[in-house]
Amino acid sequence: MSEIDLQEMIQKVLSLKDMAEDINGLSKDFPAVWRNIHRVMASIKMLEINTVDLTQNK
Amino acid sequence: MTGRYWNPILETLPREELRALQLRKFKRIFKWAYENSKFHRALYDQAGVVPEDIRSFEDIHALPKVEKSMMRDIQRKNPFPYGDALCVPLEEVTEFRQTSGTTGQPVYQPDTWQDWEWWAESWCFILWAQGYRPTDRVFIPFGYNVFVAFWAGHYGAEKLGCEVVPGGVLDTKARILKIQELKATAMMATPTYVLGMADTARNKMGIDPASLSINKLTCAGEPGAGIPTTKKRIEEAWGAKVFDHAGATEIGAWSFECEDQPHGMHVNEGLFLVEIEDLETGKIIEEPGRRGKMIITALDRQAQPCVRFDSKDIIEWDPDPCSCGRTFRLIKGGVVGRSDDITKVKGVLLAPSAIEEVVRGIRGLGDEFEVVVDKVGDVDCIALKVELVPGTESLREEIEGQLVDQLRNKTNLRYNLSFHEYETLPRYEVKAKRFKDLRKAH
Repeated sequence: MSEIDLQEMIQKVLSLKDMAEDINGLSKDFPAVWRNIHRVMASIKMLEINTVDLTQNK
Repeated sequence: MTGRYWNPILETLPREELRALQLRKFKRIFKWAYENSKFHRALYDQAGVVPEDIRSFEDIHALPKVEKSMMRDIQRKNPFPYGDALCVPLEEVTEFRQTSGTTGQPVYQPDTWQDWEWWAESWCFILWAQGYRPTDRVFIPFGYNVFVAFWAGHYGAEKLGCEVVPGGVLDTKARILKIQELKATAMMATPTYVLGMADTARNKMGIDPASLSINKLTCAGEPGAGIPTTKKRIEEAWGAKVFDHAGATEIGAWSFECEDQPHGMHVNEGLFLVEIEDLETGKIIEEPGRRGKMIITALDRQAQPCVRFDSKDIIEWDPDPCSCGRTFRLIKGGVVGRSDDITKVKGVLLAPSAIEEVVRGIRGLGDEFEVVVDKVGDVDCIALKVELVPGTESLREEIEGQLVDQLRNKTNLRYNLSFHEYETLPRYEVKAKRFKDLRKAH
């Protein structure tokens, strides 16, 4: 298995989270976007559990 | 995708880092519950604890537990039907499930979509560890309904990339034919049901289940796959590897047997904190080899948190690490019983799983049996009903001798044995009810 760069992954996950939160904020009157981004945010939370949560410095 | 681990970092984290992670996550979920659930806040206020008080595992051990009966008391009230343990606005709940109600009124379980993703995620750890890969075609012979059962297994298998075949309303014969037609490679069901399916295939359809393409089976809902003799029967019947898993509606999918089959299950310590409590003293057991009841916390569940839930499952830590390389601790032999199932008969502690282990270990006895404990006058009596497999009638005396000896060795009790015609004892599709204690009825 190739080496895993956890820190790089964490940065990308956090960027993704910021982006999803921005879209969520923009979409309250746009159900098709709002509900889809809601699901994306739940998936991002799983990425956080698998990466971000593992770091000691939280 | 050939790696051994679903999360190669988390599953091999050094123990001290894993424990530090659990402590951090416990603090987070405790704070969440305290701040968002009136039920939890009242419980902890009464104990004089606030989130800032939790600094160590000793602090966690001292926190109040949550019993199923407490959940029953607060439910069926507003926010309807979940009551005061609900931590999110009702409109964020996307899933309803309930417990089976075996021990009383069912408990309702709300989940948000994030919780549902988390359920699927926890199943991915299980399935990946058991060798499920995107090339698998997974058949799920379960009546998709209000019980969580294999719902999350379905979503977990999908998430992992498997092709999932829902065997919902099909009857057993139709399910077997579908497995045959589609060449399904894996299946999830209760041990009782997979044994029953094998029996139907063999005796009613003339199909040898081992000739089908199933190569792995994930069993849950009962301790069977953790009982060596039951596991062996299933493996021989299906020609497949059998893996144990334990989970619960109010908790989540917290444990799994891995591909190395270490005669025990890993606790997913990245997502759950398991404590084992001594049944007599209530003290937490840290050392291996001593049985107690499991107190468990789901570290990431939101809508209705599971914080120090008294599961009543009886477990013990295994002294040895697993050869698979995971640092998640093993519980030896899986869930060996429930504190509310273990009963005293003639002053001796009896676990129904011990009887199952004996019956399923004797060739010539059928898979089904029934145990009835009753009183004759002031004396406890145990009746054990078993079936002989067709063609073994002439061996009855020999089988009876083995049964008496092994039961005495294993349980230290005497039984009134009765042999019944094959297929006359009750058959179960989901959770079996083979143990009846009628003493309480007197």
